[in-house]
Amino acid sequence: MGLRSRILLTFGLGSLALSLFLALATFNFTRSNLVDERTGNAIDQTYADASRVAIDLRSNPTNIQTVLERIGADRPLVYFRGTWTGNDARFSSSIIPTSLLTAVVENRQPTTMRIEVDNELVLAVGIPLDSIDAAYFEFPSIDDVRSTLNSINLALILAAGITTLLGIVVGTIAASRAVRPLTAASQAAQAIAGGRLDTRLAETEDPDLAVLTSSFNDMASALELRVERDTRFTSDVSHELRSPLMTLAASVEVMQARREEMPERAQVALDLLVADVARFQGLVEDLLEISRFDAGGIRLNVDELLVGEFVRQAVAISSAPETRILVAEIAEEMLIKGDRRRLARVIANLIDNGRAYGGGELEISVFVPDDEDPPSQIWITVEDHGPGVPLDERDLIFERFARGSIAGRRSGSEGAGLGLALVDEHIKLHRGRVWVEDRLDGLDGACFIIELSAERV
Amino acid sequence: MGTRILAVEDDERIRAAVKLALEDEGWTVDEAASGEEAAILFLRQPADVVLIDIMLPGIDGFELCRTIRRSSDVPIVMVTARADTHDVVAGLEAGADDYLTKPFAPKELSARIRALLRRARPAHPAHPKLIFGDLEIIPDEGKVLRSGTELHLTKTEFRLLCELAQNPGRVFSREHLLDHVWGYGYFGDGRLVDVHIRRLRTKVESDSANPRHVVTVRGLGYRLQA
Repeated sequence: MGLRSRILLTFGLGSLALSLFLALATFNFTRSNLVDERTGNAIDQTYADASRVAIDLRSNPTNIQTVLERIGADRPLVYFRGTWTGNDARFSSSIIPTSLLTAVVENRQPTTMRIEVDNELVLAVGIPLDSIDAAYFEFPSIDDVRSTLNSINLALILAAGITTLLGIVVGTIAASRAVRPLTAASQAAQAIAGGRLDTRLAETEDPDLAVLTSSFNDMASALELRVERDTRFTSDVSHELRSPLMTLAASVEVMQARREEMPERAQVALDLLVADVARFQGLVEDLLEISRFDAGGIRLNVDELLVGEFVRQAVAISSAPETRILVAEIAEEMLIKGDRRRLARVIANLIDNGRAYGGGELEISVFVPDDEDPPSQIWITVEDHGPGVPLDERDLIFERFARGSIAGRRSGSEGAGLGLALVDEHIKLHRGRVWVEDRLDGLDGACFIIELSAERV
Repeated sequence: MGTRILAVEDDERIRAAVKLALEDEGWTVDEAASGEEAAILFLRQPADVVLIDIMLPGIDGFELCRTIRRSSDVPIVMVTARADTHDVVAGLEAGADDYLTKPFAPKELSARIRALLRRARPAHPAHPKLIFGDLEIIPDEGKVLRSGTELHLTKTEFRLLCELAQNPGRVFSREHLLDHVWGYGYFGDGRLVDVHIRRLRTKVESDSANPRHVVTVRGLGYRLQA
């Protein structure tokens, strides 16, 4: 059972028990008070009547009925010289319980007892009249006490119910308050997992929660420090690599200018050097860029770009400036908001990827998906004629240094395995999507699709 | 006389390699390993272009830039670590004309230097004298006067002003200015234009916070008016 339900149950049962106890106590106390008072009054009255009956009967022993009428007692019954005399047929000797009769008539003990007569609760009070060897009974009604007690009973049950409900309400509030720190902690943990490493729990005064809060925050700090260190390491390494690269690039260029003066074998070696210095440079730039993503330090230089024009310009500075580009008419007047140099890098990386892993001529298309109207999105697709990307690798290839099984089959040395990861990061930063599927026209080959939000000029 | 380039870079090997590459272009290269050394060298032997790495021991690249700017309008190229940091804007505000990020291809550097040298010698203007209210531009002499007083503009600022002045009242996009003044294509950094416009305003405007001559047209670009 969950913590919340347990708290709720505790509060519910607790308030139920407490209200039941209070109700019972109140009821018993009220009842005994009421009954005692009524009994006392009745007994006093009966004693008073009994003594008058005793006096009158001694002087006038024959006419009992008259005596009873004269004293005006309520529901009297006299047992005198073997006969019962009363003035209400309902209250005859037959309703007197044997135990009461025995106690009063034989044992000569004044006794009271609650009995029910024709659905009316009455108090049977019996007093022996020793002086004339008689017994006097009265039956005062205590039915009103019963109905009062019934009302009180009802009220108390109601009160107990309300109290229990209140207990449940308070329990619900308490439960949600109790789990609130846990909710906060789980949200913070999710935020950290989502990459917001600087997420912390708010400090609290509560000593019970302070332990949780501080150990959670310590953990988050340690994690952040570690990730930061890893990121900084990548960044530092790349920075350090740039100085020797600078020297290499400049020196290679000087040598390249004198290529024709070199012996043939040296020329071959120089060509290798030139190609790999360029590749090295690309790798370091990619590493730097990706470490910037990890450090969260990317600032986009956002401009409004006409998407058709932008793609043409981006392709023109890529490694395959002659690539065929198909721009739908509507795409010529669609604006995207983006960092033109970073988006150009995305296009360039997709072209490099297609050249390295695909095959045949690349084709780039720019159009509005599903002829949306009014258009709110634009697709930029890069299609090749290669073997395509197997289904189970389609997410994988956007991960760093993950080249998939194609890596074994491919030749050439382009790409460092960071290109597509950078594409993914850049497009995410532009709040777009990028994915790969089969060519849209059904031929063999892969189709990389970039989806960006766009609007008409 | 050949073109002289002063290269300020603390890494000895980079300096040597860059010197070799630039000498291949037919330029004379002076080297300095620190800002202090560069400042002294520049006083003794002014260069046509100065190349400054921002990360220098002692006085840094920004400070060196400001020092040189106090006495000279020589074109300055800054070398920064990253393109998307504040370094670029700070460097441009310190007086640099253009920037490159490390590692750059020496070919790219020579192309930048050639563009700056081209700019340093403005093309023949249509009119000998252009007047915009209290502003007077004499392209042939490379002079700008405000209310008769000569202003000291760097060569890039002057080129930028002349470009705007060629077609008074017309709005020039950042792309156009990048292309015509710096020789950059579609992927040039628009901040070059923005910072230079800001610098230009502090000189040609009487109140640069409320510019009268060099006006921003939101979303489109800049315009020069009387």
